Amino acid sequence: MMKRIIFLLFFTMIWSYSCQNDQDELDFGLTYPDYFPAPHYQFGKNTLTKEGFELGRSLFFDPILSLDSTISCASCHAQGHAFADHNVALSKGIYDLAGTRNSPSMFNLAWQPIFMWDGGINHIEVMPLAPITNPVEMGQDMNTAIQKLNNNPSYSNRFRKVFGEKPIESQQLFYALAQYMSMLVSADSKYDKYRQGKVELTLDEGDGLQIFRAKCASCHKEPLFTDYSLRNNGLEILNDDLGYGRITLDTTDNHKFKVPSLRNVALTYPYMHDGRFRTLDQVLDHYSNGLVYHTNIDPLLVQNNIIGIPLNNDEKQKLKAFLNTLSDYTFISNPLYSE
Amino acid sequence: MKFLNSILIVFTLIFLTFTSCKKDEEQAKPGNVTIEFDHVWGSTEGEFSLNSELTHPMLGEKMTFTTFKYYVSNVRLKAKDGSYYTMPESYFIVDADVSGSNKAVIPNVPAGEYTDVELMFGVDSTRCSSGAQTGALDPAKGLFWSWNSGYIMVKAEGKAPTAADGSFAFHLGGFKGVNKVQTTKSYNFGSTALVVDGDREAEIHMVANPARLWHGAEKLAVKSVNTMPNALAKSMSTNFYDAVRFDHIHN
Ligand code: HEC
Ligand code: HEC
Repeated sequence: MMKRIIFLLFFTMIWSYSCQNDQDELDFGLTYPDYFPAPHYQFGKNTLTKEGFELGRSLFFDPILSLDSTISCASCHAQGHAFADHNVALSKGIYDLAGTRNSPSMFNLAWQPIFMWDGGINHIEVMPLAPITNPVEMGQDMNTAIQKLNNNPSYSNRFRKVFGEKPIESQQLFYALAQYMSMLVSADSKYDKYRQGKVELTLDEGDGLQIFRAKCASCHKEPLFTDYSLRNNGLEILNDDLGYGRITLDTTDNHKFKVPSLRNVALTYPYMHDGRFRTLDQVLDHYSNGLVYHTNIDPLLVQNNIIGIPLNNDEKQKLKAFLNTLSDYTFISNPLYSE
Repeated sequence: MKFLNSILIVFTLIFLTFTSCKKDEEQAKPGNVTIEFDHVWGSTEGEFSLNSELTHPMLGEKMTFTTFKYYVSNVRLKAKDGSYYTMPESYFIVDADVSGSNKAVIPNVPAGEYTDVELMFGVDSTRCSSGAQTGALDPAKGLFWSWNSGYIMVKAEGKAPTAADGSFAFHLGGFKGVNKVQTTKSYNFGSTALVVDGDREAEIHMVANPARLWHGAEKLAVKSVNTMPNALAKSMSTNFYDAVRFDHIHN
């Protein structure tokens, strides 16, 4: 009888323990509204855990990944700006070196199939390889980065806890950063609350949404506000950046760039791949009467042989009112994402 | 409950008998197969080594290699009965600078006689697009492009006095479309089969000729750098792969 009770007790313990674990896993996962599509990144062998996410978060804020330990990912991707840079057109890396493109915002990356303005990177896990090794960003050889982590007792402990008993390898670094990056979900803007039936839009915002759906949403597709395609939106050619054409070497892809999400757009100025526009007014003026013809210009921007999206001042004000509803103040102040 | 238990025991017993029976039949033990790539230079198959000056027979230009490496992957061995043994996770970097790396070891090949080897030069498109990898595919090996995802499948660098800045660098890769650089090749061993049986030696000797990269390519004085997926990467790598030949087996 006693044996039986002990046995039962033992079983209940195991059972409740495993339940507990399930609960933890449930509490910690990618959550998103039901009007979002299924995420593109499914984690695969990279098992998402709280510890793995936290490790990725530490790495994101730690300059250890740069050559002279001065620049972290967060130097160019600041939470207060929805993980874009601090309102500068071109970011500065180590030794104050400047790149040629604007730092994009970072959120809802688990839905993103391609990365960079030219779409050259095909997977969230290999994304950090570019900034870490880019001579004008963090400028560090991968082997040195890994060695620095292995020599750091706190990191080597934490990596071991998350990934098991082995020396740190690049895959573990990439996995941890992918966990952090893919958990950055922005889905609590006024627009979201409106979609969820929690708030009403003002008249102007509501009109703005209708104008947006008619004139912008074919590229900046709801609910993520991008369709992740590569297009030319008629920007004047100011430099030799071929965009997508650099990747495909197909001249019909020249000067095409990834359609950026417009979530948090009021917080992420300046705009476009080179940060040429400082204000949303400038962007709207561009679409209404600033487009320059390019052989690869997107056909959606040419109607009846006229290039551009006709917008009067009233429509522009309403569009702007709507675009402001895309700012997600919960996201930019969420302590889960902070250092 | 009792009844269930006895059924369970009976099944376990049956299962055990079957599995142990099978073991008794297999007397020959699995063994390792080594694929060795020997590097030669030009049609005379002269000596190839890094850091020594060579003259390219077709270009007529002098060149000193400092780096020569390429990927070999997805190795399969064809048995006499037509079935294949596929090595799991078979990714190798053959690196002229790392002694022993020219020997790709396939462990635990089932005992038997094999007539062909099939392998891929380069890395399959799946692994070029499924995120962070380890082993030979670790991006820290310096053969993964950071700006245009995919592996550099052949890397040849060095000095050449005729080249624009005195050096050459060819990073050949690309895994999609018409210019994809990975390709699968199959080599038949001829009349003698490769015998795998425990510790018995089983080696496949291949000969690769880096001079073939410039078989029909422009002089280094004209083109000495190519570091992106394109038609030149395709033609240079194809010329190199096509000239890799099976030499002999060692049983
Ligand atoms: C010196 C500034 C700088 C640093 C440091 C930096 N980035 Fe970036 N990041 C950029 C720029 C600029 C781009 C756009 C580059 C391009 O499109 O060519 C970018 C692009 C990205 C993107 C792609 C976003 C998209 O929508 O396509 C991600 C993700 C990203 N960075 C993550 C990181 C991570 C992780 C780190 C740290 C390991 C990091 N960045 C460090 C400037 C920086
Ligand atoms: C044909 C597709 C298309 C349409 C339609 C379109 N856009 Fe864009 N949009 C793009 C592309 C592509 C970019 C990035 C261009 C670049 O940087 O080279 C972009 C960039 C932007 C940016 C800059 C975002 C940032 O973070 O830098 C804003 C803002 C923007 N669009 C707003 C709008 C608005 C508002 C409309 C409707 C009036 C609109 N777009 C219609 C394709 C489009």
